[in-house]
Amino acid sequence: MDFLLSYLALASIYVMLGLSTNLLVGIVGIFSVSQAAVFGVGAYIVAHFLMAADPMPFLPALAIAILCCISLNILITLPSLRVSGDYFVVTSFGIQLLATAVFTNWTAGTGGASGMPGIPPPDLFGVQLQSTLQLTLLCVAGMVLTCLCFWLIMRAPFGRMLRAIREDERAVAAAGKSVLRAKVSAAALAGAFAAVAGGLYATFLSFIDPSSFDLDASILLLTMVVVGGARTLAGSIVGPFLVLALPQILTLLDIPTSFAATARQLIYGLLLIAFMLFRPQGLLGERL
Amino acid sequence: MEGPGPAITMGLVTHMILLQLLINGLITGCALGVVAISFALVYATTRIFHVAHAGVYTVAGYIAWLLVSHAVPDLLALVAAVLVCAALGALIQQLLYARLERRGATHLVVLIASLGLLAVIQNILAAVFSPDILQFPIPWGSRTIAVGGISLTYTQVLTVAICITAYAGVVWFAHFTTLGKRIRAVASNPFLAGITRLQPNTVYVYVVAIASGIVALPGVLVPLDLGLQPYGGITPLLTATIAMIAGGVGSISGAFLLSIVIAELQNLSLLVIPGEWSIGITFFIFVIFMLFRPTGLFSAAR
Repeated sequence: MDFLLSYLALASIYVMLGLSTNLLVGIVGIFSVSQAAVFGVGAYIVAHFLMAADPMPFLPALAIAILCCISLNILITLPSLRVSGDYFVVTSFGIQLLATAVFTNWTAGTGGASGMPGIPPPDLFGVQLQSTLQLTLLCVAGMVLTCLCFWLIMRAPFGRMLRAIREDERAVAAAGKSVLRAKVSAAALAGAFAAVAGGLYATFLSFIDPSSFDLDASILLLTMVVVGGARTLAGSIVGPFLVLALPQILTLLDIPTSFAATARQLIYGLLLIAFMLFRPQGLLGERL
Repeated sequence: MEGPGPAITMGLVTHMILLQLLINGLITGCALGVVAISFALVYATTRIFHVAHAGVYTVAGYIAWLLVSHAVPDLLALVAAVLVCAALGALIQQLLYARLERRGATHLVVLIASLGLLAVIQNILAAVFSPDILQFPIPWGSRTIAVGGISLTYTQVLTVAICITAYAGVVWFAHFTTLGKRIRAVASNPFLAGITRLQPNTVYVYVVAIASGIVALPGVLVPLDLGLQPYGGITPLLTATIAMIAGGVGSISGAFLLSIVIAELQNLSLLVIPGEWSIGITFFIFVIFMLFRPTGLFSAAR
C-alpha cells in the first residue's frame, strides 16, 4: 500500500515537472535540459526554510521558492530569445552542469554530495501532515492544481497565442503580439511548476541530494514529455506515470542493483531515439 | 638573516606556478581545440547540433583502453580508435540523422534524438566497462621531462604535437583537397551543391565520419593523463561548443584559437577559484559572448 502511495506521489510530482518541461520544449519550442536544475533550486530552497533555526511554515517557504524559480527560469530562458535556438542548447547544458556543481560543492548551503537529510514533513495552515497518505494527497492535490492551471491557460487566448508562436513566430509578431512577452510568461509558468514540484519532492522524501537534480534527471524529464507526447495535457500526465513505472518493471527482472541506474538511463536514451524516429508526437501528443 | 631571500623565493614560486598553469592551459586547450574543430565541421555542414559527439569522444578512449589492456601496441590502438569512431560516425549519420531528415524531422526532434543517442552510448560504456574511472595501463605515460623547472609528462607533449598536427591537417584538408572543397561547398549552400551534383547527403556521411575520426585523437590522448569515465564527454564538448561559438561558427582557426584561450582562462582561474567551479568560468565566458558578440570573433559574413 505504501509502495503504491509513494508511486502515486512521485508520479504526481513528475507530472508537474512534465508540464513544466512541456511548456518550454513543446509549447515555446526551445530545447531544455535544465528543468531538473530549476526543480532542484525549488527543493533546496523549501528544505532550507523548513530546516532553518526558526522554521517557516510550508506554504510561505514554497512561495519564496516559486518566486526564485520564476526569476531563475526567466533568466535562463532570456538568452534563447536573444540568440538562435542552437546556442540555447549550450545555455541549457551549461546551466544544468553549473547547478550540479553548486548543489555538490556549496556544502554550507546544500549539504554537498551527501545531501540534506531530515527535512520535516509539510504543514498546511498550522496542521502538521504526518502519514504517507496525507503527504500523497497533498502531492496529488498539487498535481490537480497545476493541471487545471495548464488547462485553463491553454484554452485561453494566451494559450492559443503560445501555440501560434510555435507554428509561425513571424506571423504572430506581424499580428502585433509581443512574442517576447509570451515566451517569458511561459518560462515563468514553467519555473513556478518546477518550484512546486521541488517543494513537494523535498518534503515527501524528507531527503534530497544532487543526484536527483542532475543532467540525467533532466533527460528523464525530457523522456517523460517525449513518451507522453508534447504540447498536450494528457501527454504530460501519461508520460510520467508510464516512465516511472519502468524501474519497477526492471526490478522484476533480475538485474543487479549496481547496474539498475545504468540500465534505466540506457532505456530512457533508447526511448528518446525510438520516439523521435517513429512517433515524434508521442503517445498522446501533437507533432513536435 | 632577514634579507629579501624569502620574498624572492616566493616570487619565483608563484612565477613557476603561473608558467605551469599556462602550459597546462595550452595542453588542454589543444586537445579541446580538436574537439571544437571536429564539432564545428559537423555543425557548419549538416546544421545538426551533434550532442552525441560527446559519446563518440568517450568511445574512442574505451576502445584504445580495451586494446592496450590486451597488449596491442599503443600506436595501433590509437589508429584503431580513430577508425572505429569514423565508422561509428558514418553509421550515426546514415542510420539516425539521414533517416530523421527523410521523415521531415524538425530541428528540435533531431536534437532530442542526438541527446538520446548520447545517453545510450554513455550507459552502454558504463554497463560494459564500469561507471568508475579507469586508468590506462601504460608505464611511459606518466614519465616526465623537465624543461626549465616545468615538468611535462610524455602524454602531454604527445597531446600537443598530435593535436596541432590534426588542426593543421584539417585546415589543409578543407582548402586543398577535392573532398574538402566539396564539403565547404555543401556547407555554404546545400541546395546549390545538390543541383550541381555534389550530393550533399553523401558529403554529410563523409563529414560526420571524418569529424568522428578526428575527435578520437583527443578522446584517446586526454584520458591517458586523466583516466576514463563514461560520462566524461559532456563537459569537454560543452566547452568546445562554447569555443566554436565564441570563435565564430564556420571558422576552424577561430574555434581552435578560442579553445586555447578558454583553457588558459580556466587554468589561470585556479589561482583564485577552486577547480570544481571551472564550469562556472567557462559558462561566464559564454554569457559574456552572448551579451556582447553573439556572432563570435572570427565569424564569416553571413
